[in-house]
Amino acid sequence: MSRRPHVRKRYWNEPEMGLWEKAYLPEILRGLFITGGVFLRNMAKWMTGRKGALTTYYPEETRPDYAPANRGKHVLTRRPDGSPQCIACNMCATVCPAKVIEIEAGFDPADAAHPKFPVRFEIDYSRCVFCGLCVEACPEDAIRMAKEVPDLPAADRWTMWLGREELLAWQPQSDVAKPYPPAPKAPQGDRP
Amino acid sequence: MPRLTIDGREIEAKAGQTVMEAAREHGIFIPYFCWHPQLSVPGNCRICVVGVDDKGGEWVDIACNMPVSEGMVVHTNSEKVRARRKATMQFITLNHPVDCGICDKAGECTLQDYHYEYNGERSVSVDAKVHATKHHDLSERIVLDNERCIQCTRCVRFTREVSKSNGLGMISRADHSLVRAAEDGSFGRDPYSDNVIDICPVGALLSRSFLHKARVWYLKPTASVCPGCSRGCTVNLWHRRPEWRLKAPGMRTANESIDRVTPLENPAVNGPWICNKGRDLAALLGRARAEVAMLKGRPAELQGAIARARALVASARRPVAVVSSWASNEELAAFKASLGARFATFVKADCQPEPGEVVEDALLIRADKNPNTAGARALFGDAPLAIPPDADLVLVWGEGLDFGLIPPGAAIIHLNAWLAPENGHADVFFPVSIQTERDGHYTNFAGVTSAFAKCFPKAAGVADAAALFPALAGAGGGE
Repeated sequence: MSRRPHVRKRYWNEPEMGLWEKAYLPEILRGLFITGGVFLRNMAKWMTGRKGALTTYYPEETRPDYAPANRGKHVLTRRPDGSPQCIACNMCATVCPAKVIEIEAGFDPADAAHPKFPVRFEIDYSRCVFCGLCVEACPEDAIRMAKEVPDLPAADRWTMWLGREELLAWQPQSDVAKPYPPAPKAPQGDRP
Repeated sequence: MPRLTIDGREIEAKAGQTVMEAAREHGIFIPYFCWHPQLSVPGNCRICVVGVDDKGGEWVDIACNMPVSEGMVVHTNSEKVRARRKATMQFITLNHPVDCGICDKAGECTLQDYHYEYNGERSVSVDAKVHATKHHDLSERIVLDNERCIQCTRCVRFTREVSKSNGLGMISRADHSLVRAAEDGSFGRDPYSDNVIDICPVGALLSRSFLHKARVWYLKPTASVCPGCSRGCTVNLWHRRPEWRLKAPGMRTANESIDRVTPLENPAVNGPWICNKGRDLAALLGRARAEVAMLKGRPAELQGAIARARALVASARRPVAVVSSWASNEELAAFKASLGARFATFVKADCQPEPGEVVEDALLIRADKNPNTAGARALFGDAPLAIPPDADLVLVWGEGLDFGLIPPGAAIIHLNAWLAPENGHADVFFPVSIQTERDGHYTNFAGVTSAFAKCFPKAAGVADAAALFPALAGAGGGE
């Protein structure tokens, strides 16, 4: 069986090198001067206390310019009396495609309007895909996503579970914080 | 034998049947709330309306109370029936709170299913919904939510016709009627009270022990047999689905627990009912487990314990075995096959009635509180338990034997699933698996054999009795 001679494929953007490029070393040195120049300039800025490269030194530093609609860390909203808005219906946990939300429900017979409440509300940020379906599914506007991202870096996966207390206590400035439920109206006239 | 036509299908019904019964028997579905195959026909929910062709056109009436007659032409899905059904659904849901988000029935609720199937619209009422007691303790075990109740009276009829405790009744009228327990507390003493939770077509009657424990779609049922008495009722053990395993720190214990127990309908044994003891299997089976093999009370490796026990079996001149009536037929057969010829064998009752427990009644509960006494006696005879004084090795399988009956000089091999003070007195102790950790069969007092299936993995140090006995006989390495 005769072999076809190998023909090198020609690409549409094949570089046309002149004599100077073909000499190799001058072009290599030119490249080194460009990168070295940028590096030295940035280092000089850094040494004099100014910001050099555009790199964000995460997690010590976060970008201030997240989009307002960015889906970041979850917020559990509260009722006017401070109790969680969540009714532990598990809609968010059921819809979650990564199955990272786990809720333990409690029963409070004293509160007839909200007998079911979350005793524990855990989100595993090591697996969360930040899709926002939990926010969509919530019938009570109890879970929202603020634009700030959670402090993801951790030494082990267990510290990346955030619980009820942390999600409730965390009230970022960027949260829309619309008054919900609306403040009870004062009774008008004789009839309630 | 009247012949009738339902939805164009000609079927032959039995004389005296209702249209509902005839249709169900032939696989034609007619919706129902208040009707129940085991209860009387009150005809109060009106959702099972069907149309019947007549000279003057189609008339509609309820199928559950309509006797079949020759040549009847019944429609379950005509225009008129659909309209009537929808109107009925709108009437039933007029004051329903629609708090499915916090209702434990959501996901297996008849009202929810029918709403999507036959109605699909929100309440047509323009007035404020009637509010009623949201939480009323009918007994220590059952919570009633009167807002969700649709007054089908299934629970009331259950206590009158099946459990005969007459523990429940309706008070007040119309919108304001409420299910209430009798004032003499007979509902709290009713040993079958939890069945009303299952037959409630909505989430009005809720189990205290299951209250808000898990949404039902997180759970899956595994067919099992209640070991509470020799009736051997078939039950469903509901536990966490593997795809919904909890992973958060501190929540993982919930993955391997029985969240609730419901009856598995079985006309040969228990019909659709079980008693309250069967509902509490989680407590019965969830007692503190023995998980380490022991030699004279000192923890030992399983292999070492097997070797020691094998030596005891080999050297014994007069070995006696007391086998468990909680063992499955498979385990008993394994014992008989490998050690049965060597041991003089007695069957013991592992469990006796607890103080305050209903010992026996006419419906389900049997006095023998062990599931497989019949299966064990079939293999080993029913000689009364009498350990001969010259026995030099006694193999005690299961709990419930007074170690004082064992002759002082005899060596003891003990198999038990649970922690007990006797475990440390045995020369060799083996922790064994319980029925949720293996497949098997029990034979009930009437000779009906029912299967149970494995739900959870067993702990590493725990042995399966069926694998242990061949190892003790020296046939194999065991586990």
